[in-house]
Amino acid sequence: MAVDRVLPGQPILIPKGPAPLLGNGVYSRDGTVRASLLGVPRNQGSTLTITRITPRAPVPNSIVLGSVTRLTPIQAMVAITVVDGVPLPLGEEFTGVIRAQDVRSTEKDKVKIGDCFRGGDVVKGLVISLGDARSYYITTARNDLGVVFATSEAGATMEPVSWQEMRCPKTGRTEKRKCAKPEGV
Amino acid sequence: MSTFDRRRINGPEESYPPLFEDGHDVGDAYANWKVGEPRQRRSAGDVRPIFMKPGLINQANGSAYVETEKTKLVCAVYGPRQSRNTAYSERGRLNVEVKFTPFSCTKRRAPIRDAEDRSVAVQIHQAILPSVRLELLPKSTVDVFITIIENDGLESCYASGAVAASAALADAGIEMLGLVTSCSSSMVGKEIWLDPTEREISLAKGSLVLACMPALGIVTSVWQSGEVKPVEAIECMEACQERCADIHAIVSEALLANAKVI
Repeated sequence: MAVDRVLPGQPILIPKGPAPLLGNGVYSRDGTVRASLLGVPRNQGSTLTITRITPRAPVPNSIVLGSVTRLTPIQAMVAITVVDGVPLPLGEEFTGVIRAQDVRSTEKDKVKIGDCFRGGDVVKGLVISLGDARSYYITTARNDLGVVFATSEAGATMEPVSWQEMRCPKTGRTEKRKCAKPEGV
Repeated sequence: MSTFDRRRINGPEESYPPLFEDGHDVGDAYANWKVGEPRQRRSAGDVRPIFMKPGLINQANGSAYVETEKTKLVCAVYGPRQSRNTAYSERGRLNVEVKFTPFSCTKRRAPIRDAEDRSVAVQIHQAILPSVRLELLPKSTVDVFITIIENDGLESCYASGAVAASAALADAGIEMLGLVTSCSSSMVGKEIWLDPTEREISLAKGSLVLACMPALGIVTSVWQSGEVKPVEAIECMEACQERCADIHAIVSEALLANAKVI
């Protein structure tokens, strides 16, 4: 079947039956469903969307990857480089913040930022809010969220040994991190 | 001189494009023209042929090149990127910047931002702003950079600039309500000449540029200068709107052809 691309503003024909939910790239105006992106409209379940793989800004519930740039006793700053699996163009990072209370879901008051992240760590997180003017608020309070890549003091790539420890293969020493549960374990 | 630019190699102040003896430039068709005579080289309602190529600049998220005879411009869209140095805003920001190349006009233009760049930028911003769904881009900025390579009248820069910007935004995958197209017109004597060149503007008593979204039937911006009666202005707008639909067809075709390649 030939792909039917639509242009922004073009009405999309909705087959009879239950009206679909409108997802990305579609909008409704004066009772007509129209496209707002150039692409092929598809039904994903009951949602009608037009997907384009383009870099986009984080929104609440986006899964982001970023590297830790700065640590303070109350929060860690993260330069977000990947949003929902789509890398952002170089030099166009968004800044995110992991506050101490958002690191994990238990014993929130005992969190020490320095024992959870270090500068340069690559962190996987979930955007919980648009935050303030400067940054997005990110949480790592889930098993699959946290540090996914870190180098030890000796300079080797460490491997996670528990949810709050990583081991250096060179020296065998462990360092404290809030680790993300590796996929497929 | 206060506007001397130290960062660039400055060309001579008094520089003009070379004048070819014959054959190359057809000369001024309006040298012996008097008010009331018909338009030269095309009929009053005709627009110049438009060439459009989206996705020309591969570093940018989206881009478009538009050429209508002697009006040539290129538009690049970057973003959405995080707004810096601004207060929290629920809606995104659309930032339009226009630059004239030094060789774009008959007289050399110093590569410095001046009032003319900004007025073109404001005009294009106004034309495309209602089409972009900025409510979906909180805290972000979309940057639109337009470079005018060759200038043949500000009116056609406004019109082509808006068309190029809208096509580039569509190419960049930024959500919008519809494609914006724009057409310029001028009142010469009792006639309406569409898509006037710089020379034709100089003969006109007034001009009008209309931008609209033909898919939705929404007018986004109207710009008018000179002496135009309300009746004539409305006539101009109707003529422009009709042409905008034709331009929309060209833009859609160019965008779809480009989308197939990817």
